[in-house]
Formats: sequence, structure tokens, C-alpha cells
Amino acid sequence: MPQDLSESEAQLALGSIEHRRRQVIAEIDMPRWYWWGLAAGWIGLGVLADLDHPWLTLAVTLCFGAAHASVASHVLSGRHRSQQLSVRADVVDPHIPALVIGFLLLMVAATVVLALVANADGARHPSIMASVAVAIVVLFCGPALMAAVRRRLAHRVVA
Amino acid sequence: MTAPARFDELIHPATRLSIVGLLASADWTDFAFVRDRLGLSDSALSKQFATLEDAGYIVIERPVSNRRRRVRVRLTDAGAKAFEGHVAALRAVIASAERAAAKR
Repeated sequence: MPQDLSESEAQLALGSIEHRRRQVIAEIDMPRWYWWGLAAGWIGLGVLADLDHPWLTLAVTLCFGAAHASVASHVLSGRHRSQQLSVRADVVDPHIPALVIGFLLLMVAATVVLALVANADGARHPSIMASVAVAIVVLFCGPALMAAVRRRLAHRVVA
Repeated sequence: MTAPARFDELIHPATRLSIVGLLASADWTDFAFVRDRLGLSDSALSKQFATLEDAGYIVIERPVSNRRRRVRVRLTDAGAKAFEGHVAALRAVIASAERAAAKR
């Protein structure tokens, strides 16, 4: 143990380490293309639903779900926002994938409810209206959800 | 962190502490990520990396992705252990100062 290291120097060093950890936490997110892809897919499915081809809509929905599942294992952890780094698993919140899936299920429910309401109101394209509205919510609230997760993680940082 | 407290002279200087602090929270980082966060020049950062690599604390890899050669850096097990020991040593300094203050 260095005899000449003061308490304030040690505090300063620990503060620097905590700052660097927060810089890595700031990188926890989904890639931008993930939210845009979801929003585009949402609107695409809404358009298909209003075309009144149930089998085609079902097939494309299944394909969309499969495509999402294939990328989800890589992006939903929030550890690979960019190609600049891979955040360590014990730094990220292990509940992020469940949180995002829960958010998406909520959005699916919101889409169905909105479409039913729009249909009952006599709208000509209820599914498109509902999907566009929810796609906008996904685009804004998805990143906001991740920002909230990052704030919580950064708040807990102690070197 | 549960490593035994061991002050590490190599890690302690501010720049290297920052570098290792970043690397400790990541599986790997790109050279540019560290450079941009620390605001260092390429040559200054390369020198610090060389020192840490010589000590066996980091590994520098050069994978090719999208036809571009990248430089990735990651902490080795020895580097992670040294960092944990250093953090424990810093905490011990603070704890002993607090104990001394409480006795007064």
C-alpha cells in the first residue's frame, strides 16, 4: 500500500473510475436501425391488415416475428449498440430483454385496441391509423425506455 | 470486486487508470472509442496501450470487418485482477483515513 497516497487522491482515482464506467453505461442501447425497423414493420403490417388478405397478413406477421427473433438475441441485451464496443454482461441490466419484449407486447395490445376503436368509429383504414400511431410511439418511447434504464444503471455506479 | 487490495503503480497514473477503467466495463472496445472518450491523440494512446500490453494487462486484436481493419482492445484476466486489486487498495486508503478520523 503506498504510504504517500492521500485519502483525497484515492477518492479522485475512484471518481475517475466511476466516470469511465458511466461512459460505458452511456453506450447501452439498441442499434438505431432496430427501432426504425420495428416502426417500419409495424406500419407495413398495418397496411397489409387493411388490404383484407388475412392469410397474407398472417404469413408476413410470422415472417416479421421470425426476423425479429433472429436479431433479438444479439441486440436486445443492449450491449451492442455500435461496433465500437461490447459492454460487459455484468454491467448491463439483465432485465432489459424482458423489459423491451414487455413494451412491445403492450404496443401490440395498443395497436389492436386502437384499430378496433377506429373501426367502430367508421374509419376507412383503421389498421393503418393504429399502426402509424403505435409506430410513432415505438420510435420515441423505445429509446426513452433505454435512456431510463441507463439513468438507473448510472445512478447505481460505485467503483 | 473481491480481489485482495494491491496498489498497482502501472495502472494508477491518471491516463492509464482511465483506460483500464473503460476497458474493465467492456468485453472489448474499439481503439477510437477509448481515444475519443479520453481526448488523446492516436500516438499518445498507442504508447499507453503498449505499456499496458507489455505488462500483460491488455490484448490488442486487429480483426477485419466490412473490409476495414479495426483495432480492438480488451483487458486480460491479469489486467482485470490487477485493476480489481487496485480499486480495493484505493478503497482501503479511504477506509483507513475514515477510521483514523473517527478515532480523533
